[in-house]
Amino acid sequence: MTQELNASAAVDQQNGGISKKGLSAGSVGLVGAVIIGISCIAPAYTLTGALGPTVAEVGLQLPAIFVAGFIPMLLVALGYRELNKAMPDSGTSFTWATRAFGPWIGWMAGWGLIAATVVVLSNLAGIAVDFFYLMLSQIFGNSAEIAGLAGNPFINVGTCLVFILIATWISYRDMQTTQKVQYWLVGFQLIVLVGFGIMAFVHIANGSAFDPTPVSLSWFDPFAVTSFSAFAAGLSLSIFIFWGWDVTLTMSEETKGSRSTPGRAATLTVIIVMVLYLFVAIAAISFAGVGGVGVGLGNPDIQGNVFFALAGPALGPFAVLMSIAVLSSSAASLQSTFVSPARTLLAMGHYGALPPAYAKVSPRFFTPGYATIASAIVAAGFYTIMRFVSEDVLWDTITTLGMMICFYYGLTAFACVWYFRRQWFATVRNAFFTFVFPLVGGIILTVLFCTTLIDSMDPNYGSGSEIFGLGLVFVLGMAILLIGVVIMLVQSRVRPAFFRGETLSLAAPRYGEHEE
Amino acid sequence: MRFLVGYTATPAGADALALGVRLARAPGSVLDVVLVLNGGERATLTPADPGYDRLLLDTAEGWLDEARALVPAGISVHTHLEHADSFTQGLLAAAARLEANLIVVGAATHGLLGRFAIGSVAGGLLHSSPVPVALAPEGTRVMGTDEPIGRVTCAVGTKPGADGLLTAGIRLARTVDAPLRLVSLVAIDRPGADAEAIQLAADPAQSVLDYATEHLMDGLDVTASVASGGSIEHAVRGLHWDAAEVCLVGSSRLAQPNRLFLGSIAAKMLRELPVPLIVVPRDFIETVKE
Repeated sequence: MTQELNASAAVDQQNGGISKKGLSAGSVGLVGAVIIGISCIAPAYTLTGALGPTVAEVGLQLPAIFVAGFIPMLLVALGYRELNKAMPDSGTSFTWATRAFGPWIGWMAGWGLIAATVVVLSNLAGIAVDFFYLMLSQIFGNSAEIAGLAGNPFINVGTCLVFILIATWISYRDMQTTQKVQYWLVGFQLIVLVGFGIMAFVHIANGSAFDPTPVSLSWFDPFAVTSFSAFAAGLSLSIFIFWGWDVTLTMSEETKGSRSTPGRAATLTVIIVMVLYLFVAIAAISFAGVGGVGVGLGNPDIQGNVFFALAGPALGPFAVLMSIAVLSSSAASLQSTFVSPARTLLAMGHYGALPPAYAKVSPRFFTPGYATIASAIVAAGFYTIMRFVSEDVLWDTITTLGMMICFYYGLTAFACVWYFRRQWFATVRNAFFTFVFPLVGGIILTVLFCTTLIDSMDPNYGSGSEIFGLGLVFVLGMAILLIGVVIMLVQSRVRPAFFRGETLSLAAPRYGEHEE
Repeated sequence: MRFLVGYTATPAGADALALGVRLARAPGSVLDVVLVLNGGERATLTPADPGYDRLLLDTAEGWLDEARALVPAGISVHTHLEHADSFTQGLLAAAARLEANLIVVGAATHGLLGRFAIGSVAGGLLHSSPVPVALAPEGTRVMGTDEPIGRVTCAVGTKPGADGLLTAGIRLARTVDAPLRLVSLVAIDRPGADAEAIQLAADPAQSVLDYATEHLMDGLDVTASVASGGSIEHAVRGLHWDAAEVCLVGSSRLAQPNRLFLGSIAAKMLRELPVPLIVVPRDFIETVKE
């Protein structure tokens, strides 16, 4: 028992001491926190990636689904915050699930997080490639040839690998842009998106829109979605659009000013992002409709990357701004996303769930160097395979991503509920934040995960890519999880200490046990 | 004297530490090993993570413990963890706080032809340090920490800034109890220059050396020589260098007063020199205390 306590002592320590030492203390104000939040969510990238697949599922009810998607995200993020407060650890979901449910489930939660972030890395880089060539063609007089280069799988994969290489380099060396540049990047992104919405409505007013569709209240009615399957699929996609927002909620230790700053930053971020999403979504549907031809949002050919198709018709000569906005948004998101799998891999190496090499911290740049490079290699490999296997790589990766997020967020939510089981009813606050909210959030995500998994067996699911008569998304999801299981079994043979709970033990503290 | 080692858990850091230890073997010296972590007001797009920060802190303390273990018993050593926006800023802050007399860093990243090039870290430091900076070339660590400093060479010139350089050289030679060698480097930049021309160019240099030897030394083992060659590189190569010595050069006249800046001659020496180089800021004033 003594040994167990020692094994996890590091996790249980309150970290107040650290922020006082000045690592990140007081570095982020309200505006800074909002900027980081928006930058992590990367609205320009998220919208171009998620609008199409979501419309494919729920059609006109896109705004309703966007709002509904926020609810499970909020519920889980609240539980996430509680866990982060009790056990601040770079392994996040991995560490927390291990402490709540033991090494096996914890390992899979870590795997889910790594898989989700690796999938999103490849999708981000893929979107960036499309917009990179679109931007080049816009700069050089709208040459369709240049824009078409993105369609050549070899050029596409080559460019994508270069982008991933650059992102890895930046991440490995921990190069950071100055705050001023960040403000400009995020501000620019917001302005372009709002500009896109305004221009779309101008076209509608002038009668020059592609397929003017009058706004209707039914767009906001989640019950107008045709089936529960479609609703679930749309929901799991719209969770993706808020992914990254939880960051603002957990920045409590770093924000300066009053204690309420993190809460206000998170609220402000989500209000800005939500208003933006709804405005752009409504504008896009009103402008282009959900029809299956041309730039209609229902056209499968454009659904993986809608702004790629919509920027020209809506923004005309200013379409290049949209390319720049999506590119910069992807770049910022690549940078912030790279950190997650690397830190989780590092924690898994640290606790002996993976080879110790993963726990290496670069002595020059103080980044998890080995883990960063490992994530990059896997993301690059994943994208390359997908580009040749899938008919619509961006679409399929986004759908798979939604499923993976549901998987590891769900586990994290349940980990919160279970870890705090001895203090649920200690206070009214605890009852909600450690029991009701995460439990409901976890159940919603589990339902979404199962529904998506079952539905995606259908070869016609999503983009219609299939392997062995099964939907590609299903095969992908199962393959990712099964590979995780196999690696876990191998590791349990090679490194039994972690799997015996010697490095990270189960715990269920009583109320006040970890208070300073 | 107080020697501050800018340490990283890399080969370059080990080079710096090895040189720092050899310098700090002098009686009454203190060795400060400083590791600089990112922090402070640096803007990041990546959200800060207290868990990772703590792991980093533990790791860094582990690195410092390893560094301390490499320092032989009998040397007064302190380790410090500094948080700053950059390695250079962290070292300068630590140097100011600890009142260090000399900063030691590993200069090497990828030296050309086995010699050393200035890494970005050393480069940044050379542009801003108010105290002398010692650059430990790649491979200093191989020599180990037992070898005392065998000789202090001071590359004096006729240009302003030499006084501070001389003072620093004397101080260091006294501290480490090593003989002082004054050299003047003369480049004869003409093909086929004859012995007479070389002598002509070397004369003013010789007179500076004579003056310095006569006026500044008391009780020190001092030698002086003029090294000439077709270029500074040749001149440096023509001199005999002892593996255990260090070489002091002055910083550029282009530097702001009291700031280091590597002049062209010093930069050339850096490329050629097989021994640690110590760059002394222009107008560096330090009283030679007994």
